[in-house]
Amino acid sequence: MEGKKRILVACGTAIATSTVVAKAIEEALEKRGIYVTIRQCKASEVPSLAADADLIVTTTPVATDHGKPVIQTLSFLTGIGKEAVIEEIIEKLKD
Amino acid sequence: MDAILSGIKMFFDTFGSTIMLPIIIIILALALGAKFGRAFRAGITVGIAFIGIGLIVDLMWANLTGVGQALVTNLNIQRDVYDVGWPAAASIAFGTQVGLAVIPIALLVNVVLLLTKVTKTLNVDVWNFWHFAFLGSLVSIATDSLLWGLVAAAIAAAFALFLADWTAKAVQSFYGVPGVSVPHLTSGPGVPFAILVNWIFEKIPALRDLKADPDTIRKKWGLFGEPVVMGFIIGLVLGILAYAFKVPADKTGLQVIADILKVAMSLAAVMLILPRMVAILMEGLIPVSEAAREFMQKRASGREIYIGLDSAILIGHPAAISAALVLVPIAILLSLILPGNRVILFADLAVIPFVVALFAPLMKGNIVRMIVAGTLELLVGFYLATSMAPFFTQAAVDAGFALPENAVQITSIADGFLWPGWLFTNLTKLLGGAVGCLILLALLVVVFFFFNRNREKWEVLAGAPKPEK
Repeated sequence: MEGKKRILVACGTAIATSTVVAKAIEEALEKRGIYVTIRQCKASEVPSLAADADLIVTTTPVATDHGKPVIQTLSFLTGIGKEAVIEEIIEKLKD
Repeated sequence: MDAILSGIKMFFDTFGSTIMLPIIIIILALALGAKFGRAFRAGITVGIAFIGIGLIVDLMWANLTGVGQALVTNLNIQRDVYDVGWPAAASIAFGTQVGLAVIPIALLVNVVLLLTKVTKTLNVDVWNFWHFAFLGSLVSIATDSLLWGLVAAAIAAAFALFLADWTAKAVQSFYGVPGVSVPHLTSGPGVPFAILVNWIFEKIPALRDLKADPDTIRKKWGLFGEPVVMGFIIGLVLGILAYAFKVPADKTGLQVIADILKVAMSLAAVMLILPRMVAILMEGLIPVSEAAREFMQKRASGREIYIGLDSAILIGHPAAISAALVLVPIAILLSLILPGNRVILFADLAVIPFVVALFAPLMKGNIVRMIVAGTLELLVGFYLATSMAPFFTQAAVDAGFALPENAVQITSIADGFLWPGWLFTNLTKLLGGAVGCLILLALLVVVFFFFNRNREKWEVLAGAPKPEK
C-alpha cells in the first residue's frame, strides 16, 4: 500500500502563516477523506527538505530547482480563492 | 474604569497567563461567532503553548547564563542582556494584561480607520497584534498604568496601518502580491533607514553601481540560513569564546570541548523547538483570527482595500534571504565589539530577514545597500535594546515567565531593537502617560495627514514605481 502523501508548507518563519496554511489544508483534505502528512518549514529550508516531500505549498517565494511541484498562494491567508487552491493541491497530489 | 482595571489585574495576578489567556481566547472566539467546541479547544491550545514555551526558554536560559558568566570572567566582555528571540517576545506580549485586551482593541482601531477612510489596510494578521501588545506593555510598565498601555497599543495598531499603507504599492509591485500590504512592526520601522542609506548611495558615484548577486549567496550560503545550522554555529562560536580561552586548571581539554559542543547542541535544539512551540500558540489563535477576518471583511467591503498580511510572505525572496545571511555574522561581530553594548545576540538572528524585507523594493533588491542599511539599523538597535532591557524584562515577569534572580535582563531584535519601542517608552516615561500618548497620537495624525495629502510621492519614496504621466 502506498504511504500518505507528504506536503511541505513553507513560509518566512515556519510559524505564522505556514501554520494557518497547514491547518487549512489538513482540514479541507480530511473533509474529502484524504489524509496527508504535513511538515512546516522556513523558506530557506526548502532546498534541504524538498526531497522528502511530494508537494510544496508556500506563502513566499521559494527555490524551485528541486523537481517537486510548488504552489505559491496567499489564498489561505486572505480567504479569497481557497477552494480553487484546494482543488489544485488534490490534482497535484494525484500525479 | 479604574475599579474594573484593578479587578482585571487581581484576576490576572492570581491566575497567571497560562490560565487567563485561554479564558480570554475562548470568550473572544465565542464573541466573534466560533462554535463552542472549537473555541474551547483553541483556548486550551494557547495555554499549552505557553507551558511549552516556558520549558524551552528555561533550557535556553540555562545555557546562555553559563556562557554569559564565562564571557565576563574569561574575556571580560560584559554582556548581561540576552536575546531571547521574537517567539518569546510574542508570548510575553500576549501574556501581559495589555496583551489580553489587544485583539479587540486593534480590531476596533482598524474598523474605525477603515470606515473613516484614513487607511486602506484591513489587517487580518491577528497573530502579529503581539507587536502592539508589546509596545503597549512597555508603556504600561513605563507609566505604571494599564490604561496608558492600552492606549499605546491602540496607537501602535494605527501606526502599523500607516506603515502598511505607505509601503503597500512598493510591496505589491516588487514582490508581486497584488492587493496586499504589510502592517508588520518588525519590518516597517526600518524603511526610514533604508531611504537614508539609499539616498547616500545615489549621491556617491563609486558606491552607486556596487552590486552582489543574491542567488549566488543564497545557493552557496543558504545552509547557514537554516535555523538548526544557525543555532549550532552560533552556539559553537559563543561556546568557544566563553570556554576555550581560559581553561580552569581542574578541566581537561576533552571536558572543554564537551562544554562547547553542549552549548552548540542546546542552542540548535532551541532554534528548532522554540518555533514549534510558538506554532502551537499560532494554532490556538486560528479560530480567533479566522473569525476576526470574516468580521472585518463584512464591515469593509465595497472599495479598494489592501489585505494586511505577515511579512513572512515576503522573506522567501532571494534579496531578503541573502542580505539577512550576510547580516548574521555582522550582527554577531557588532554585539561583541560595540562599546557600551550589553546585548548578546542569539535567538533572533533568524528574524533578520524581517528587518530587511521592506528595504528591497526601494533599493531594487540591491543587497549591498540592504546590508548597509540593515547594519545601520542593527547598530542603533543594540543601544536601544540595551536601554530598553529593564522594561522588556519587567514585561516578561508580568507575563508570568520565571526569570532567574541574578539580575540578568532580556531583549530580542523583534521588537526590542527597533525605535518605536524606544520612542513609546521614553516619551511616556518622561512626560507621563497622558502627555506622552497625546504626542504619539499627534505624530501619527501628522504623518497620516501628509501621507493622505500626497500619497504618490510618499509611495515612490518607499519604493513604488513612479506613476506614468
